[in-house]
Amino acid sequence: MIDFSRAWLPYIYLYGVGGSIFLIGMYIVLKSKSLKMERIRHRNWFHILVFGILYYMGIHSLVTFAALGESKFASLIALIIGAMALNLIYTLTQKPKGVK
Amino acid sequence: MEGMIQTSTSFWVIIFGYFALVLGFGSFFARYNKTTQDFFFSGRRFSWWLVTMSIVATGVGSHSFLKYSAKAYEHGFSSTMTYMNDWFFMPLFLFGWLPIVYYTKIRSIPDYFERRFNPGVRVLATIAILGYMIGYIAIGFLTMGKTLEPLLGLDLYTIIFIVAIISGVYITFGGQTAVIFTDLAQGFILIFSGIIIFLLGVNYVGGFDVFWHALSPDYKLPLAHFNHPSNFNFVGIFWQDGVAGSVGFLFMNQGLIMRFMACKSVHEGRKAAAFNVLLLLPISTIVVSNAGWVGKAISIVTPESWNAAIQLDHVFTQVAYLITGSEVVFAFVIAAVAAALMSTVDTLINAVAAVVINDVYRPLVKGKDDKHYLKVAMMVSAGATAVGALSTVFFNNFPTLYEAHGFFHSTMTPPLVVAIFLGIFWKRYSTPAAVATFLGGAILMWIGSKYPQIFISPFDHGIEFNPDRPYSYIRALYNTLVCAGSGVIVGLLTTPPSKENTEGLTVWSLDKARELFKGSAPNDRPGKPVLVKWSMKETAEGIVRFSIGDMETMGADVGDLVYLADERKWLGGLKSVHGVYGEPHDEDGVVYLNEIQIESGLFNPSKKLIAEKEL
Repeated sequence: MIDFSRAWLPYIYLYGVGGSIFLIGMYIVLKSKSLKMERIRHRNWFHILVFGILYYMGIHSLVTFAALGESKFASLIALIIGAMALNLIYTLTQKPKGVK
Repeated sequence: MEGMIQTSTSFWVIIFGYFALVLGFGSFFARYNKTTQDFFFSGRRFSWWLVTMSIVATGVGSHSFLKYSAKAYEHGFSSTMTYMNDWFFMPLFLFGWLPIVYYTKIRSIPDYFERRFNPGVRVLATIAILGYMIGYIAIGFLTMGKTLEPLLGLDLYTIIFIVAIISGVYITFGGQTAVIFTDLAQGFILIFSGIIIFLLGVNYVGGFDVFWHALSPDYKLPLAHFNHPSNFNFVGIFWQDGVAGSVGFLFMNQGLIMRFMACKSVHEGRKAAAFNVLLLLPISTIVVSNAGWVGKAISIVTPESWNAAIQLDHVFTQVAYLITGSEVVFAFVIAAVAAALMSTVDTLINAVAAVVINDVYRPLVKGKDDKHYLKVAMMVSAGATAVGALSTVFFNNFPTLYEAHGFFHSTMTPPLVVAIFLGIFWKRYSTPAAVATFLGGAILMWIGSKYPQIFISPFDHGIEFNPDRPYSYIRALYNTLVCAGSGVIVGLLTTPPSKENTEGLTVWSLDKARELFKGSAPNDRPGKPVLVKWSMKETAEGIVRFSIGDMETMGADVGDLVYLADERKWLGGLKSVHGVYGEPHDEDGVVYLNEIQIESGLFNPSKKLIAEKEL
């Protein structure tokens, strides 16, 4: 039997410390206007960046659940990742309002 | 194990045939090198998909099939950790470092340090980066030697000598374009061969269900135990390989940076990086690790066919030999691995040449024509190959390749990575602060390595102290903190640099960087690409002329930057040029180019060009 800390402590540390690095990075690029939310192309990049972190969190939790034999949770996460990917593709291919 | 793997002539025909093919492929693309700009950066012309695939071969090669197969066999799915945590740094890379290096048109990473600080800091950065890259080349050669050792039965250094000659030849004559195209081909081959190994391996053990259930739940967890054992634990690997290694690879690997600078625009560079990390890295981690997982499954399901006394660094070769069942397939797989290692090495050799020419030779020997520098660049490439091969003697002293890499990530990357980070993101970061990061950081790192129980243990996260190799991974956290601490303290105590000295060189002034790149204010008016025929006319250097209507469609003004590429998108920008919009004419659907532009783009008279405004 694998205890909670063996399975999930590294995950919490990874996305706690790594997630903080990601958030600080997002804050800096938004604050410095390097990533300009008023630009359509940059807005798409914002979506991609947020998707990326959720996507990796999803993959790691999916494999962890699968390793623990929790196939229902693993399948659910696989579905969520798939839905997020479709949503991202939809967002990127949508023509913004007012642009022909 | 060496005695177990018997090979026939056909095996070696395939291996040498493959290398001959690679050499020919690289030499073919050497004709695109007209200037040092082409040799190092391929004239900033390529599409994202071409660059991202070529990065696969470079990235995979640097971490190597051998290293991860060994760890995968020993520790399971957690061998994937280091490939799966690059996204944390993507905001800073995509919207910080990448646009800065692209727009400032720096020739090398040390070049950035001179512009941001002064020539003295450039020297410190040059020493750090050359040490890092030469070491990486040496590890690449060493890995190649260890891959072929069980097959050849030759002395390790004889193999390294042969491999170094082969690597040196095509990088010396090919340059960056040759590297990108050979890596493109090798990237596909690598992924294909890794997937083949996985499929054959799963089939060998009796199907995916048998494979999955043969492995224990602990073995299948994607992250290692938090702080145990001392030679492979999550928190140590996170800081040493995940943070120092990944950031080092992404931000200070001159070879990788040169790939992104070969993209036709910053946007294409961002797409190349994002696609690589989102899709190709997860695939790559399976590609490099799965032989270890398959080996473990074989050792459990059919222990009689497994050599239990196998050396860890030979797991990959053993598994490939067992499961392929055909000498042709086995030869193909070994050739693919050799290709991966060659890709890493050739990228770094080209990068070393870029640094030596731009940071050492050009400042010393000024006023020569570009052909002279190109010739010297080729000689430096050959020299870097030789020095890298000789340095393998030092790295062969480490117990495993993994530890040789670990030594690098934890000692070579922190000063440079910290200096890059603070330089880009902290406006206050001054020249004395940068010097303190390099020199103060190095002194504190040395003190830490001498007295680890005093200085590193406060950061050990409960990892057991191993007196033979104390805190081999978690020391990266200590090293990063002391470098950052030295820089921040001195930065706070000294006068901040003036605004004009840092304009365009930090993330806070990227608009200025775009302006400097273009030479005037960027034109962000929306526009669309146009498809045009080309016609040769006498125009001023760098000037291209479109019709008024076509310029309106592109949203372009006179003086804006334009990129023209052959209409065949599958060429990925190989036949393309950059230019500046000149005064318009009234012949819609036609662009006027001069002879030099046509020759540089290698344009075909029967093919139209796609033109789009840059920035």
